[in-house]
Amino acid sequence: MPGIFIFSEDTALAKQLLTPALELKQALAQPVTALTLSEDSAKELAALGADKAVFLQSASAWPEGLSQAIHGLIAGAGGSVFLVGGTLRGKHVAAHVAAKLNAAMTTDAKSLKIAEGKLLATRLLYAGLALCDEELALPAAVTIPPRTFLPPNAAANAGAVETVKADADPRVAISDVVQGGGTGVDIAAASKLVAVGRGFRNRGDLKLAEDLAAALRGEVACSRPVAEDEHWLPLERYIGISGHTVKPDLYVAVGISGQVQHVVGARESKVIVAVNNDEHAPIFESADYGIVGDLYEVLPLLTAAVRKNGGR
Amino acid sequence: MPRCLVCYKWTLDEKDIKIKPDDLSLDTARAKGKISDFDRNAIEEAASLVERHGGVAHALTYGTPAVKQSLKDALSRGPESVYWIADNSAETADGFVTANVLAAAIRKLGPYDLILCGEGSSDLFNQQTAVRIATLLGLPCISFVQKITIEGDTIKATRKLADTTEVATVKGPAVLSVLGTINHPRIPSLKQVLAAAKKPNQEIKIPELGLAPECLQPRAVRKSVRGFAAKRKKITYKETSAAANVANLAGSLAAEGLC
Repeated sequence: MPGIFIFSEDTALAKQLLTPALELKQALAQPVTALTLSEDSAKELAALGADKAVFLQSASAWPEGLSQAIHGLIAGAGGSVFLVGGTLRGKHVAAHVAAKLNAAMTTDAKSLKIAEGKLLATRLLYAGLALCDEELALPAAVTIPPRTFLPPNAAANAGAVETVKADADPRVAISDVVQGGGTGVDIAAASKLVAVGRGFRNRGDLKLAEDLAAALRGEVACSRPVAEDEHWLPLERYIGISGHTVKPDLYVAVGISGQVQHVVGARESKVIVAVNNDEHAPIFESADYGIVGDLYEVLPLLTAAVRKNGGR
Repeated sequence: MPRCLVCYKWTLDEKDIKIKPDDLSLDTARAKGKISDFDRNAIEEAASLVERHGGVAHALTYGTPAVKQSLKDALSRGPESVYWIADNSAETADGFVTANVLAAAIRKLGPYDLILCGEGSSDLFNQQTAVRIATLLGLPCISFVQKITIEGDTIKATRKLADTTEVATVKGPAVLSVLGTINHPRIPSLKQVLAAAKKPNQEIKIPELGLAPECLQPRAVRKSVRGFAAKRKKITYKETSAAANVANLAGSLAAEGLC
């Protein structure tokens, strides 16, 4: 019996995958099986409407190393659609399964539907410059970025939970695992962001952006070069195609020229503000409001104005 | 002394692509080609591994006939030779087709101790080719790698994933994909550009790979492509007085309920 499978090593993301999975269940009339790395996660997903939730019990905690086992379960059941949480680990697992099944795989789908027995997915091309509709023959693997869907409400009837022993890939040994390392700030959860770019002359000057972010009760984010090249801020604060995608109420881009690779990470924000001394910087094309001017002059004034208004 | 093969893609430079405002179609007429950004990191990594450990680095690419334009650029970045597959099937190739072609070529050219790819291409960014190649070849894969060290036939790869760092150790041969942060790709010197002209390149034709016709049929078909249209107010305050601009902006933000 064919079926829809979902997997994410991140339980919160796995719950979000259930929403499109349950829509596909309606269209394909196939049951939804959630593959998980913990028993608790399996129980939660069964309660949210997975017909079956399978806890993959393994000696290894390395998700990528369970790719073969995951393929075995999906192939054994004749899986038609495999939805995977779009983390880097998830993309690895999805690509392995797709290759084994000689199947289509689309990465970072923004939306999904079934039409005429095929899966239609929308995704970005050219670093976000364009959108593309892809038609995938079944079976197909699809990765979905975090926060694309909200998790479903609790189901009337919880699904079954079972445990399956899974062998890990013996060829790869994992060591020196360091969790965290960041400051624990979840940029994607902030409702207001002040993003800094190359327009800042040195690290100490970021204080100007921190002050504005504090007045707005938001966080400081940055463009890729500020994190990767200058190391002024940790990678966890970088917005862009290979960094975070954020959807805050307010996104203030300061000293950021606005290349598509950056803007793609912020363009779902409700309101975008740009501050740049170059009137022709592309960021103004992506902004609701802009100030052409020297950020060193503008930011202190803006911070004072926000403080005066109360920084709602 | 590792034998390295690095795969790269010749893509359009997205900086040169314009969106036509009337129908949102893409105007690529003025778009120049480039070696896909993260593939330059992969090439740099292969070149620097050979500089440190000896051995050899070859490059492999699959693309439309335009891929021939890439050969000198690729060779100036370090590899000793480049194999190229120019075929119109690349125009519509998805991850399935691309991996089938590259894996078949590697079977023909190999064995290699280390096969390197970038984490994703600048145009499609499907982020699956390295894992697919490894799966098709039956090799272990370490994806999204931040640092590589080699000791004998042991490959140690540091990975950086969201809030976790880990070291994956594997005995070669293996396939690795590298992150853009692994290195800074060199800008080829005049000497390297001149030397590239003397390095060998070899064409591989698709029929030589012995692939069944269905291996060249994409499973993911691009049906429509349209430029992203930003729906933004685009109100710019550009008085000479910064105070006036800030007062205007603060007024706008207050009207939006944002400050």
